[in-house]
Amino acid sequence: MKKIVVIDDEPFILMMIEDKLRKAGFDVVTLRSSVDALSVIRKEKPGLIILDWMMPELSGIELCKILKHDSEMAGIPVFMLTAKGQDSDEQLGLRSGVARYITKPFSPKALLQMVEEVMGVDTP
Amino acid sequence: MVRTRIIYKHIAIFLVFAILIVVPMTFTVVNQVNKMISEEESTHPPDNADYAKAHREFSDKLLEKVVPFVFYILLLALMLSIFFSRSMLISLKGLRRGSQLLKDGNLDIRLPVVSGDELGDVTKAFNEMAAALREKTRELSRKDTYVNAMVDPLWVVDRENRIVDINPAFCRMFGYGRDEVLGASVYDFFDEGNAEVIRRQIEEKRDKGIASIYEISILSRDGVQTPVLISGSPIFDGDRIAGKIGIFKDFREQKELRNELRRAKEYVETIMDSIEDQIYVIDKDYKIIRANKIAVMSAGGDVIGQPCHAVAHHSNRPCWAEGQECPAQTVFITGKNYRTTHQHMGPGGEKRFHEIVASPIKDASGNVLHVIELIRDVTDRMRHEEEIFNKNRELVALNSISGILSKSLRADEIFSKVLDRMVEMLRMDGGGIFFIDEAKKEMICHYHRGISDEFVKMMGRIRLGEDIPGKVAVTGQVVTTSDLSKDQRIERSFVKHSGMKGYCCIPVRGKERVIGVFCLFSFRTHYFTSEEENILNSVGEMTGIALENIKLYEKMRGLYEDQRKRREEEQAQILSLSTRLGSAIGLKDVMGPVLELIRNIFGADFVWLLARDGEGNFILKAASPAGGEEGKLVYANTVSSIEGYSTERRVPTLISNIGAEAKFYLASAIADSQYQSAMAVPMHMGEKAVGVYSLYYLGNREFKEEELHFLKILANILAVSIEKADFYQRAIAEKELSDTILQSVADGIITLDVNGRVISVNKAFEKMTGVSAPVAVGMPICDVFRFSEQNSDFRLALGECFEAALLGGGISRETYLTGVLGGRNAVLIGSAPVRDASGSVTGVVNLLRDISREKEIDRMKTEIIRSVSHEFRTPLSAIVGMTEMIIEGDIDDRQARRYLTTIMSEGLRLSSMVSDLLSIARIESGKEILRLVKIDVPKLLSEISRSFSSLAEKKGAIISCDAGGVSYLVGDEEQITRLLTNLIDNSLMFSDEGCRIVVTAKDAEGGVEIVVSDNGWGISAEDMAHLTERFYRGRHGQRIKGTGLGLSLCREIAKMHGGTMDIRSKPGEGTQVIVTLPRREVI
Repeated sequence: MKKIVVIDDEPFILMMIEDKLRKAGFDVVTLRSSVDALSVIRKEKPGLIILDWMMPELSGIELCKILKHDSEMAGIPVFMLTAKGQDSDEQLGLRSGVARYITKPFSPKALLQMVEEVMGVDTP
Repeated sequence: MVRTRIIYKHIAIFLVFAILIVVPMTFTVVNQVNKMISEEESTHPPDNADYAKAHREFSDKLLEKVVPFVFYILLLALMLSIFFSRSMLISLKGLRRGSQLLKDGNLDIRLPVVSGDELGDVTKAFNEMAAALREKTRELSRKDTYVNAMVDPLWVVDRENRIVDINPAFCRMFGYGRDEVLGASVYDFFDEGNAEVIRRQIEEKRDKGIASIYEISILSRDGVQTPVLISGSPIFDGDRIAGKIGIFKDFREQKELRNELRRAKEYVETIMDSIEDQIYVIDKDYKIIRANKIAVMSAGGDVIGQPCHAVAHHSNRPCWAEGQECPAQTVFITGKNYRTTHQHMGPGGEKRFHEIVASPIKDASGNVLHVIELIRDVTDRMRHEEEIFNKNRELVALNSISGILSKSLRADEIFSKVLDRMVEMLRMDGGGIFFIDEAKKEMICHYHRGISDEFVKMMGRIRLGEDIPGKVAVTGQVVTTSDLSKDQRIERSFVKHSGMKGYCCIPVRGKERVIGVFCLFSFRTHYFTSEEENILNSVGEMTGIALENIKLYEKMRGLYEDQRKRREEEQAQILSLSTRLGSAIGLKDVMGPVLELIRNIFGADFVWLLARDGEGNFILKAASPAGGEEGKLVYANTVSSIEGYSTERRVPTLISNIGAEAKFYLASAIADSQYQSAMAVPMHMGEKAVGVYSLYYLGNREFKEEELHFLKILANILAVSIEKADFYQRAIAEKELSDTILQSVADGIITLDVNGRVISVNKAFEKMTGVSAPVAVGMPICDVFRFSEQNSDFRLALGECFEAALLGGGISRETYLTGVLGGRNAVLIGSAPVRDASGSVTGVVNLLRDISREKEIDRMKTEIIRSVSHEFRTPLSAIVGMTEMIIEGDIDDRQARRYLTTIMSEGLRLSSMVSDLLSIARIESGKEILRLVKIDVPKLLSEISRSFSSLAEKKGAIISCDAGGVSYLVGDEEQITRLLTNLIDNSLMFSDEGCRIVVTAKDAEGGVEIVVSDNGWGISAEDMAHLTERFYRGRHGQRIKGTGLGLSLCREIAKMHGGTMDIRSKPGEGTQVIVTLPRREVI
């Protein structure tokens, strides 16, 4: 499965990730709000979800917890892409079931590498 | 058909029946005819001979004609019946043929069913019978094959025990021919012993119809006994037992094997039984399946089938404790040998040690089937070792204790060392020593180990007779308990639920009574052995005696001291007086009496004391008897005098004959009195000559060495007093100055003596703590802050500082102080020792600095760093990430343009954040200068509103402005714009789509009032309190990005203009920010 759902309220972050991952051959679905995230994820059945922490309505961490408690979606790896760079934040993130905790600013190249690692593809 | 005998039978029957029917019938008919003729002739006698002849011949003719006719008819009928029943004959013939074939052994026959009559049925039945017979024959032949093919021999015997059948295997195994066996009695094949067995079997089992298997030996033809396993079962004929079938199993090999096994088992058992350790073979359910004699004996009964843990250590479950895992389980898991030593409880609950060697018993494929455990009771050895170890330890400790007791006469040393040794010897975690205070009827803990001072403070005083130490002190009996918390005897105790378990309390006996108690405790269960108790008792006694010895020694020393004191009484008196003199501040008042005392002691007629000023002049300080004016010049520095002479020599100088010493000028007071001798004692403070005191005698006076020594001492004391008096004068002035300084210092200052009592506190201290100086002074420092439980940390920190300062070092500690009024502030405690001239520590100065503000600044700094780093990360993501992608060539030119635009806008966002931060920093530091101009308010409002138009449109918000007749205000336009922009930005950010924002200005009492109100989300009461704190992000802050600087900056701007900013809000209804700026004119 090469589909990835990216949720961030900053349009340029979405644009960057979408461009980078799409070029690498992934199917990218972007969302600017976490409101419809659950229904979209349920529909798209992605292989990976990249989440921002700080979002209006539903925070990334809350969304991640919901995902990890849903038997259908619990298996989907989640990347937390956030500006919260403190150790305690990272610990909280990892405790919530996040597979990779990436702090902004980030390198799209490194992100792609991590995505490939987790998705288990060398050359998509 | 002709060969069918039944036809002949038919014909014969027919002939018989024909004769039987035709002859009587013919004769009957003839008779009847004759009778009829006779009757007719009697009535009508024949009239002629012809007629008569005809009558006579009629019956003969009838016989002649009728009989053959009837016979032929019958014959015809017979022929016809035979013809019509020929099918019956076919069936019969078929049946005959079939039966013939059957007889010949041909079973594969099937007769055609010709007719549907009974014969047909018979034919069908014949067919079925033939088929059944065929099947039965096949089955029998199969069975016969099995029987013949059987490897195991069998025989069939009848009720009379005669053999009626055997199979070939029988012949093969036992060598008999079939004919030899059939008809023979079974008993012919057994010797007497076996015959007895078979008889019993036959009688008991077969006659009751029970199948049986038993082992027996059969006599072979060659006379050899062949062991077989015979399996016999009765043959029933209906309900009757018709005989028995016996099948033999060759048991020669098995028997041999069994013998081997038995021998091996016996061998193993002999070995097992000859081993003096307990041996168990244990299965996977931990059940014992074998055990040697010793094991059975030690268990006191049969152990087979019982769980090994129940037998080996009387437990209801396998061992599980760490390091004491069940060896059987370990071997089952690892499949390897395992050796361990376990501590088990014996049947009587006593401690036993078992050395266990467990080994696996494996099957061919390596699976562990059973475990063999060799258990050796090493209790005695262990106990012995332990005893030796304990004895050794105890001896060492006792040695050490008795060494301490014999060597030291210092109670402190004795008790603390003995306590240490006891704790070490019994491997306890700590303890304490209580001494009885007879007067107060209570016991006080003097020494303790392993417990905190706080704990000792709490329970370090116990009333006699209460709690464990109190009771032990009263009863003099040792109390030991393995587990304090579970001991029923101890109902109430401070330490019952303190976590202590093993506990003992030993009386320390003096010569006549108990003088205190030792308490030792362990946080683990500790069983005190009687030996330990003995040791404890003897230590208690030894210590008591040692203490008595100390007391004796102290008493003796006291006596000696008393004597010495008495001897030196006079001098001591003077010394004490002199000391008082030394410590007195008003020298003038005490100098007179002191000189008089000296005069009395040394029996002088006149004593005076002259002080030496800086130029060397002698000035009168005091005299006895009193005379002269204090401060009067007695001898100028140019004059030669006794006092001057002694000062130069620096030693007490005796002038035996004053009159003879013409070189000395005498002051009029001396010259007039005609004194004969004089003793002048110079007073020095180091190198400095302070003055002289002189004793004048009318007669001659000799001075003993002792007296001279004493004079010198007095000189020193007087010198100090004079110096001190001078110093004091100066000090008073200095103290006043330093007091003023101390009182005006913003930090709380508290000075303590070496005992920790408060000497003084300053005003800042009173303000900070709420404790007034009169209350604090004289109080032990540990009690000053007891008013709040929250101060325990503070007291601890202060204690540390005090201790450190006493040792000569100054340290500081950060902690929190709760004042009397409840306010809690972060404080920094600094301590420094106060030293006297010799460098000894005489007190401690503690400085309490309120560092709440510093803490707050620290917190803010952290917040700034956190917030800034966090807020900067998002725009940096654009700059870093997008630049990387452009460099990597991930995007085309068109996209690159879009990326660069984003990079620029995010860069600008960063820049604006930096600028906000800098503004605040500038305003805070006071570097920001207002550039006051006349601002056109309506224009300003509309411009700001316009700048938000695109954002407002995006959110569907309506921003309306009303200058309300305010035409202008004087202020820094840039700052005011920033203020209003921030407020409107906030309103937009914290509102739903389609919100309404109103900006109004009006002239108010305090100046110009600008109000920004919205119908947004509002602010919770909890957030309201912190709203203008820098970096405070409210409840919505988790969702909305920002720096937490906006409102804080707005407030600073309003403040800088001399105005105010007020926020009113209700959650769910909206927020109103009122900025009031004073009215002013441009300078």
